[in-house]
Amino acid sequence: MRAKAVIGTPPRTVTIHVDGRPVSVVEGVSLAAALVGDRTWTFRYNPVSEEPRGPFCGMGVCLECEVTVDGRPGVRACLTPVRPGMRVETEEERA
Amino acid sequence: MTVHERDVVIVGGGPAGLAAAHRLAAAGLSVTVVDEQAELGGQYFRRPAPEVARVWGDHRPEGGRLVGAVRAAGVECRTGHLVWGVGDDGRTLLVCDPAERPVRLRGRYLIIATGAHERPFPFPGWQLPGVTTPGFAQHLAAADHTPIGERVVLAGSGPFLLPVACSLLDLGVTVAGIAEAGRPYRPSTRALGTVRHPARLRELAGYAARLARARVPLWQNTVVVRADGGDRITSVTLAAATAPTRPVRTVQVDALCVGYGFRPQTDLARMLGCAVRTDPATGDATPELDDSGRSSRDDVYVIGEAAGIGGAPVAEVRGLAAALDILGREGHEPRAGEVRGLAAAGRRLAHFKRLTDALYPAPAELARLLPSALPDAATLCRCEAVSAGEVRGIARTAGRDVNAAKAWTRAGMGPCQGRECGFAVTAVTRVSPADGLPAGVFPSRLPVRPVPVATLLEMAGEGEPA
Ligand code: FES
Repeated sequence: MRAKAVIGTPPRTVTIHVDGRPVSVVEGVSLAAALVGDRTWTFRYNPVSEEPRGPFCGMGVCLECEVTVDGRPGVRACLTPVRPGMRVETEEERA
Repeated sequence: MTVHERDVVIVGGGPAGLAAAHRLAAAGLSVTVVDEQAELGGQYFRRPAPEVARVWGDHRPEGGRLVGAVRAAGVECRTGHLVWGVGDDGRTLLVCDPAERPVRLRGRYLIIATGAHERPFPFPGWQLPGVTTPGFAQHLAAADHTPIGERVVLAGSGPFLLPVACSLLDLGVTVAGIAEAGRPYRPSTRALGTVRHPARLRELAGYAARLARARVPLWQNTVVVRADGGDRITSVTLAAATAPTRPVRTVQVDALCVGYGFRPQTDLARMLGCAVRTDPATGDATPELDDSGRSSRDDVYVIGEAAGIGGAPVAEVRGLAAALDILGREGHEPRAGEVRGLAAAGRRLAHFKRLTDALYPAPAELARLLPSALPDAATLCRCEAVSAGEVRGIARTAGRDVNAAKAWTRAGMGPCQGRECGFAVTAVTRVSPADGLPAGVFPSRLPVRPVPVATLLEMAGEGEPA
């Protein structure tokens, strides 16, 4: 069983930028967790059907969580820990 | 480009790979572990971010201890490294480092510990955001302390759904229900054998008790027949597994996690030329191995879930068995009783696994059951957005040949290489229930994962190594 929270020690956070918006997240969590925690579920659009898609497998297999990080496209958010100042672009804006 | 030469290269830093690495390095061999994730541990021992562990605790501290022991033993740990292929010599692993630079690794022995991935089965709406595998919900909860949603249904089959539901309850999530395709949760004579394994039985019983206390409904003989929503799932519709065309209830949710157990991840083993056969019970490609995990290729071992689904304790035993076999071949004397103890542990665990398997519907049974619930209009291959009807059409005209169906429709040909839809494509291709489960092993092709263009360009500039 998970240990109980240590009272009085809130987690350290870092700020990342999601589609230009600053988002505060717990240091070191996966980028997929950061986005889902921020209620962002559309990470990209399927190139064939143009339907919205979000993370599915959480282990690097399905590639549905690919986003652009610091200008580099095709980064799997589920395998990428957040870094302070990281700039993330989803395709959500396209909607 | 230099090729990094080691005694042993291990692909995959989960329970199996770590157990093997630790034992081999302790005996003085030079060992490299390569893993795609940012930290070792694999799926089972997935490491929480240090800040998450500090504030909310570590869900599997034994995983942290094993990773620490592996590092202390002097194992070279290449995390964030993607193994995407095999060189022309059939031995050199083509790897991409975290900065997208190409790396080449060669071991006198290669250990493939690439683990497993979940076995989804499509239904209308399975491609909606908010529909995920149970594994994703578990990682979010345990490693990132992030709830996947506020109101969640878990579905599919197998024991894994229970601990995931408990992890969600720990985070305050409303688990609206668990839909299990089989009928495993009743006293039956088959379950009696598990009494010989009280620890494992207690674990499952503990989860079940927790769910009962929280009044989480457990719907047996129940499958998901559709998910609805716009840019995120809003409801899930369920039906009896034995009558999937008659929906019995619709539940409002903001996340749905569906998985029918796990499939071995064998693409790298197949690319290395290891012989595989189709497991008649699961339809999955399974490497042909001896007791130590040695494949048809003398220098390649396959261990852990990649060798066949067994769970983390089995994976660790397989890792140690491979390590001892290699050490024997290198002239090391085994420790007194080590080989015998390992064999006994392996037998005990295999027995438990047979009992658990018997509780849940076999994948071959699911492959017979689930396609009838899948309408033609549903998306079957999520990468290429191919419908079930398109695949059925080709299957009818092309004599149920999986490869013909793939070539004509592109089902299973997208970036995930059929890992998500492969089981379903194979099941749907089989038109009449009398056909049995086809031996539809999807061929493994290069690259195992899409490779950054920059890596390929850099490699092209340098030419093939001598
Ligand atoms: S969620 Fe599947 S690759 Fe990230």
